[in-house]
Parts: sequence; structure tokens; C-alpha cells
Amino acid sequence: MISVKNITKKFGDLTVLRGVDCEIASGEKVAIIGPSGSGKSTLLRCMNLLETPTSGEVWLDDKLISDVDPYLHEEIVAVSATCARSVQAGVASEQAVDEIRKKRSLGKWEGSAYKNAIKEYAAEHGQNINLARRKMGMVFQHFNLFNNKTVIENLTLAPIDLKLKTKEEAEARAMELLNRIGLADKRDEYPSKLSGGQKQRVAIIRALAMDPDVLLFDEPTSALDPEMVGEVLDLMKELANEGMTMVIVTHEMGFAREVADRVLFMDEGHIKEEGSPEELFKNPKDERLKEFLSKVL
Amino acid sequence: MDFFKNIGILLTNSKYMGMLLEGLGKTLLISVFAALLGLLLGTLVAIVAIAKDSKAMKLPKWICKIYVTIIRGTPMALQLFIMAYAIFAIRGFPQEITAIIAFGINSGAYVSESIRAGILSVDIGQTEAGRALGLTNKTTMMKIVIPQAIKNVIPAIGNELIALIKETSIVSMIGMYDLTQAAKVIGAGNNMASYIVPMSVAACFYLAIVYLLTFGIKKLEARLRAGDKR
Repeated sequence: MISVKNITKKFGDLTVLRGVDCEIASGEKVAIIGPSGSGKSTLLRCMNLLETPTSGEVWLDDKLISDVDPYLHEEIVAVSATCARSVQAGVASEQAVDEIRKKRSLGKWEGSAYKNAIKEYAAEHGQNINLARRKMGMVFQHFNLFNNKTVIENLTLAPIDLKLKTKEEAEARAMELLNRIGLADKRDEYPSKLSGGQKQRVAIIRALAMDPDVLLFDEPTSALDPEMVGEVLDLMKELANEGMTMVIVTHEMGFAREVADRVLFMDEGHIKEEGSPEELFKNPKDERLKEFLSKVL
Repeated sequence: MDFFKNIGILLTNSKYMGMLLEGLGKTLLISVFAALLGLLLGTLVAIVAIAKDSKAMKLPKWICKIYVTIIRGTPMALQLFIMAYAIFAIRGFPQEITAIIAFGINSGAYVSESIRAGILSVDIGQTEAGRALGLTNKTTMMKIVIPQAIKNVIPAIGNELIALIKETSIVSMIGMYDLTQAAKVIGAGNNMASYIVPMSVAACFYLAIVYLLTFGIKKLEARLRAGDKR
């Protein structure tokens, strides 16, 4: 469903992701764990392009949603001016392409053939990010409910504005979801009147109101008081049991163990180890993972 | 107590009151239209200033920066003189329009900074949540960020409007007949021959306008803050 291809992300001089590849299959629940600063949130935010990757590509259901990364496509590198110069100097064209991709030596100006090749590729495979985001719900650490809108408006704003539903349909669906989490009586309250746990549950159903194919969770319980963590995790477990595809950045190891099909351990911008929760938690191979688990378990 | 007797004379004399009200009308006319122009200009400049850096925005951003720098860095009276005696030095050109443009342009520079700060004060998470739902940048701005920003900038904009109303009194320097000028004329030797009385009455007029404005702003703010806990 989501494929992340050789993503790097730099913030100025700071490199947060150093070439990450990962695939999220439909129906899969993937937990991303790791020490703070390891790039796990950035990876998640790159999946729906809230952060623009410095290089690499993000695909959703066979549609390219990020920019084209020329180094991932031999046929694009092959028409670049740098490649043409190497070939002219007597290098075999395949070798020239390999060398450019290895050294990442494309310049700013690579000729119109190269420019057109990128444009054509984007036109053929690309999808508008706003369309892609409708299918990818996101839940934030700090909830980010719209402060100037009531609960029901938070749930219906996007479906109505994007003309996915009529006002009546959107409100009916919102009430159905509110009933499900037992907050139907809060429909006309502003978010400031809700507790942290209530806010986060409303934020989750706000994402659900778009009928997404996948939900991305960015440390959904980190900003909650301990006694409110349970209600949020319970709702997430319910969704997992219903077969929702989920990618969850979390510090809740117990939850990752119970719910995830696969766990990714990130450190220093790499995925250092991945596997089923049993293998990863019981038989960690990576040294950093062992150290990390000894601290958090 | 001559002072109170004279105030009584002024308030009951239809000639003097007519002069004051005429001046008051002009002050209000200039203030209202200059404020509208200032808000419009200020919002535009603020939106340009917070737009993402790109090639197309380079020149507009640069123009806005120069505009704010020059207007905030030079005296209002000088700006008014330049408008009246250089740019619009056309015989028969209505002075009211000159004044409205001069004050509107001046006010816009201050308002733009307030609005820019207001938009930046809205948590980035609000924008991210909107964009993550698939809303466009424009929709997120119009429906989520700007309504919250407005709430934050109202006190600053209110301050600016109050300053603007009082600052219009310098139009008398280009010979316009506003509230201040009316008080001056009434106080001159061929009329009441006492400045303190008409000046005090004019001061009360200004005070009343500013008080009403403050009251309105408070009410508006309270209504917009309905969703807040504070």
C-alpha cells in the first residue's frame, strides 16, 4: 500500500533519515519504535509528505506522491547531460549511469531531455498529494483538533469541503463515530472543553470520517496523562481488529507487542532491525536494539 | 466659573456646534475609509510576507518589505505632506481622498505586521492537521488558520485603529477642516477668543469615539473567544 524508497531527509546540516526503504502492505499493522531523534516521526511524516523528503520517493497504491527521484530511475539518468558527457568521453553508457547513481553526481542543469523525462514520469505515475492524503488519515501527538470548530465541525469539515459527502451524510457518519466512542453528547462542544483522551479519540475518528485506507499515528499517547492512555489504545486496538492498515510510531512497547504484525526499530536514521514482535522483543540481534529494549522494557 | 459658562454657550450655539460637527464628520470619514484601506493593504502584505519563498514571490516580498520599512521609518506628517504637495498636488483634487490614501497606506504597514504575527502565532499543528486531511493550503488558511489568527490580532488592530483616529488630527496641517481644526477656528479671536473651551469639547468628542471603539472591540473579542477556555 505505502512504499518508501530510499528516503533521506535533511534539516539544514542535520541528517535525520539516511536512506530508508519500507513497504506497508494492506491490512498490516506496523509499529515503529526507537530512541528519540532516531527519525521515526520524520519517516511517518514523510509518508504523507508533511515533510518533503530530501531524496527518495513515496508511493501510495502504485501512485507516486512525492517528487521523482532521478537516481531511482536508470532511464532518466541515461538522458542527463552528465551522462552524455561521460559517454562522449568514451565510457560505456551503462557504466556511466551506474557511476552517476553511485556518486549522485547529477548537477542543477541536465538538459531538456532529462527535464522532460522527469516531467513525463511524474505525469504518468504521479498523483496529487491532496488526493492521496484523503486516503491516509493522520493522528498527531498533540491531537491538533481545529480549535475554532466544534467537535462535529471538526469531523465534518473536510468531507464536506472536499465534496466527498453532503452535509447530512457527513453529520450522520460523524454521529455514528461519536456514538461509537461514547462522546455523542460532546458534539457541539469546542475542543478546549474535552480531556486529553477525549481529544485524541475525536482526532482518531476525525481521520476515520474520511474513510481512509491507512491510518498514520505519530506517538498518539505521548502527550496524554497516564490514566487516559488506556482509552486511546483501546480504540486503536478495535480499529486494528477491524483490519485497518495502521502505521504507529509509539513508545508503548506493550501495545506494539500486542497489536503490531511487524515492528521496525529505527536508530540514527536507519531501520536497524525489523521483524515480528516476538522475534524482535525476545531475540533482538542489533546491539542498539538490545540496549534500547533493556532501557524501556 | 467662566469655563463652564463658556462650554454651555458653545454647546447651545448652533453656529459653533455646526462647525464642530462638520469637523467631526470629516475626522470620521477619513478614519473609517483609511482604516478599511489599511486593513485591506495590511492583510495583503501579511499574506505575501508569510508565503513560502519561491521565485515568483521574490519581487512581491521585496516590495512589501520596502513598503513596511519606509512607512514605519518616516513621520506620518511628512508622508501626508508628500501626498498632498507632491503626489496629489493637482488643483481641485479632493483633499479627503489624499488624506484617506496617506493614512490608509500608513496604517497598512502597521496592520500588516500585526496580522503577520497573528498568523504565525497559530500553532503549526492546525495547518498540518488540515493538510493531512487533504485540504488545500488555501482552504486550511481561510477556514482554520485565519479565523484563529483574527482572534489573536484583534487587540493589536484595535490599538492601531485608535492611534489612526487620533493621528488624523494632523490633517489640519494641510489645511483640512477636521475636528481639531474646527476647535482651533472656534477658539480664534474673531469667534470665542478662548482656546481652552472648544479644545476641551473636541477632546471629549475624540474620547467618546475611542471609548465606543474600545467597547466594540471588547465585545467582538469576547464573541470570537467563545471556543477558548481562558
